[in-house]
Amino acid sequence: MRSLMSVFVASDGRDPVAPPRGLEAGILLRDLDLITLMASAGSIQAPLALDLDSVEGLNPDATAARFVIEELGVDLVVTRRPTVALQAVELGRSALLHVLAFDSTGLARSLEGHPRTPGIGTILSPGPVLDHLLPPDLQRLPRPLVAYGFIDTPGRAVGLLRHADAVVVPPACALEMARRASLDGLDAVAGRG
Amino acid sequence: MPATDANVRAFTARLAERPCCAALVAHERLDAALSSPVGVIFVLRADGLALRPLVARIHAAGKLVAVHLDLIDGIRADRAGVRWLSRAGADAVISSHGQLMPAIRREGMVAIHRLLLVRRGLLDAALAATAKSGADIVEVLPGVILPDVRALMPSLRVPLLAGGFIRTEEQARAVLASGAIGVTTSAENLWSADLR
Repeated sequence: MRSLMSVFVASDGRDPVAPPRGLEAGILLRDLDLITLMASAGSIQAPLALDLDSVEGLNPDATAARFVIEELGVDLVVTRRPTVALQAVELGRSALLHVLAFDSTGLARSLEGHPRTPGIGTILSPGPVLDHLLPPDLQRLPRPLVAYGFIDTPGRAVGLLRHADAVVVPPACALEMARRASLDGLDAVAGRG
Repeated sequence: MPATDANVRAFTARLAERPCCAALVAHERLDAALSSPVGVIFVLRADGLALRPLVARIHAAGKLVAVHLDLIDGIRADRAGVRWLSRAGADAVISSHGQLMPAIRREGMVAIHRLLLVRRGLLDAALAATAKSGADIVEVLPGVILPDVRALMPSLRVPLLAGGFIRTEEQARAVLASGAIGVTTSAENLWSADLR
């Protein structure tokens, strides 16, 4: 797997899509339709991730994974289907299996289906639940680990980077993170400097 | 027998007495739950086709039973499944299927609709679904992050429960302080905690 950006800016592809200046970040496209995806993906210069399950008009299967990788240049496929994640890796890209963490039993069941293959990490929703997982739970999550959902402030994003390799944040949060990074450096704020 | 406000009041009164509910995912914890002071036991995993003796044991211990329609084995999450749970004696039914809430109420049981917190972009639709479903109670999952997201949620017309990753008294108290009337947890250490 290529090195992962530590921040992804979530976008629905409708606004101009780029990370804010001063913040090294990727873009995660989600909650858009197929036509908007086609229109926006080609113009994105940053590392591009796609939440395949959230694209209206697209059946999130292996054929769709091949299409978004080969035709749209998606670098990182987010999917709830292990077979789709494996397909992305076969095509030379990376994937994150989307794991929903609502309770400990459900988390364990979700992880049973994880391929645990190089190139396939974990994207966990909702992100703030990472703060409440026990160390053995955290160790069971295949890396790289991305926190996704309800990460609306720089403080929360940076806090979650203690546990996760990356976070997905909305544009407003990314903008504020860029402002802080320009002052202190993101790693310094995250305690990783 | 349609659900009445009295059913819901009785259920929430139990929660007011003991806000912590035991969530059972395996039978071996049943004895511990029965001997604990919890007022409500949530059956998340069980043989749905052999529920009646389990429900009877819980009732005999003076506790109410809520059964998770979507997770128990052998029962489909549809109206016939709801009727089956009613015949088994369940006091409340939990489900993520909002369209089943009226059927649960019609069978005289308390209808608990699960609200799954995934990400901000999906919250409004999830809230709209719970508002439309006519549930008596909404259960938020994962409950442990309720204090983090409560400000994003409008006040609901129905009481809130919270479950998922609540393992410590501190977490349970934070969740209750966020507006939940009760917590559901499989953490046995909390079943005896006085959280009022």
